[in-house]
Amino acid sequence: MKVDFPSTSFFEALKDRMAQEQDRFTKLGYFDTTFGVTVVGPGEQRRNYLLNFEVYECMGAREIDNLEGEDPDFVLEADIAQWQDMLRNIQSNGGADTDHGINTLTHFGEGMKVIYDDPERHDKLFRFSESIQEYFDLAADLQIEYAS
Amino acid sequence: MSYLATSHFLDDNEFVDKYLYSMRTGELDLSWMDAATKEVHCTSANERRGLTFRDLDVDGYGFSDLPEVVRENRCYAPRGAEIPDGVPDMQAGVNRSSDVWAYNVEGYVEEAMSRQWDATTDIAWTELQEAELPEEIGKAYAQLLTFLTEVEMIATDVPAKWMGQVNADFIEVKNFIALQAMDEARHAEVFRKRALSTGYGLMRASVQNEYNLKFLRDAETFSEASVTLHLQAEGNVLTLFRFSEYISPTDADKKMFRLVMQDEARHVGYGMQHLKWLIKHNPECRETLHAHLEEAENFLFGSIFANEVFEPFVILSGKGLKKENIDKGLVITGMFQMRQTEEYFERLDKCGLTDRRERSRLHEVYELTKQGLAAQGAI
Ligand SMILES: [Fe+2]
Repeated sequence: MKVDFPSTSFFEALKDRMAQEQDRFTKLGYFDTTFGVTVVGPGEQRRNYLLNFEVYECMGAREIDNLEGEDPDFVLEADIAQWQDMLRNIQSNGGADTDHGINTLTHFGEGMKVIYDDPERHDKLFRFSESIQEYFDLAADLQIEYAS
Repeated sequence: MSYLATSHFLDDNEFVDKYLYSMRTGELDLSWMDAATKEVHCTSANERRGLTFRDLDVDGYGFSDLPEVVRENRCYAPRGAEIPDGVPDMQAGVNRSSDVWAYNVEGYVEEAMSRQWDATTDIAWTELQEAELPEEIGKAYAQLLTFLTEVEMIATDVPAKWMGQVNADFIEVKNFIALQAMDEARHAEVFRKRALSTGYGLMRASVQNEYNLKFLRDAETFSEASVTLHLQAEGNVLTLFRFSEYISPTDADKKMFRLVMQDEARHVGYGMQHLKWLIKHNPECRETLHAHLEEAENFLFGSIFANEVFEPFVILSGKGLKKENIDKGLVITGMFQMRQTEEYFERLDKCGLTDRRERSRLHEVYELTKQGLAAQGAI
């Protein structure tokens, strides 16, 4: 089944894939964070998603108007072309290559920005780094329809 | 053998007779069955998570009611057990909550247990053995790995040194630092294994870095050791691992750095939560901490600008030794160092040591680097 990116159904499809990969995520360990994803563009459009992880699972993925009121631990923000480039790379390699991992894209904020207020909660991006990467890598198995 | 029993139990007739009497008659003492303790039946708040330390935080056993000074328990009686008269004083050196406790330490210890990994099997060593690195990149990487192994060995020794000093009533802290020692031992292992699989082996230890490691090891109190190891050193190493992931030559190297990064971030988390707790419960410690950090920053400055530490970063981030590579590497490394310093002050701000920024000479270095990068048009 095809899923649009960006859309709630895309993140729900990742949530379902994560549930199917329960053994892998259990081995990685507790994964307790709520973070936001912002896709900027095309044009002035901004689409925000709130992803909530608890124990070994994704508990919820929903689109919201404004992330600020939701108090996420951090927000990953990039323009739509960057997200699409990352997802296409994940799909062609079966997982992000050396130039397309979340840490690499966010490290100097060139490709993707990490927005946070609280350095302790920002550190959850690193405390759960491998789980977060493997969660996005699950996009390799989806059929994605990209918004143009 | 420095500790001797005050009597020989075999020569203690009363003790031996009691044993022989029980053997002969089947009569047991059973007074321990009436121990002055609470009967409790703890259950998991979240079954998917299992039975956690937080689930055990109940009247008579919990950590929420820990006093600032633990006087009663001088031995290894588990918190909540009856302590009979006559137990030896084990002379734990750290008996104040404010010296070790951290907000959510019970959560960090569970996360640590749950997120353990295996350096031998969780890294794609076969893929790495096949990865050919150009000589200058390979040697620079081997030098970085040499430095990281040195650092991780001290990071194993510091929590291990304090573990036996911490009063048994702080079991959550003891378990956290036991797991930290395990994490750091695994880091030393994985970096050694990676260095010896690059084709270049280990390179050179660094004099300035070794000074810094000695300083970290020899802190006189647990809180000083924690603020320098967990918050300052590991905070810097966390930024360094993210940078190392960023410049890593292969996917498998990236995974290695993501895995070590997770552990390191957890240690930084404990360090921040401990510093916050310390400042709240023992505010007069601020000046002592400032003095300790003053020296720690001096050692750190020496360490990060040591040739064996600074130069591999420049080569790895510029991806080579040609002039244009070096120029690019200098800019990226400068940006990384600024980020490292900024995040260090950000964490101290969050913990309530907001005046460190003005008092620190590291901030002067930050400003100098910033000016240098601005002059090159890099920022
Ligand atoms: Fe470490």
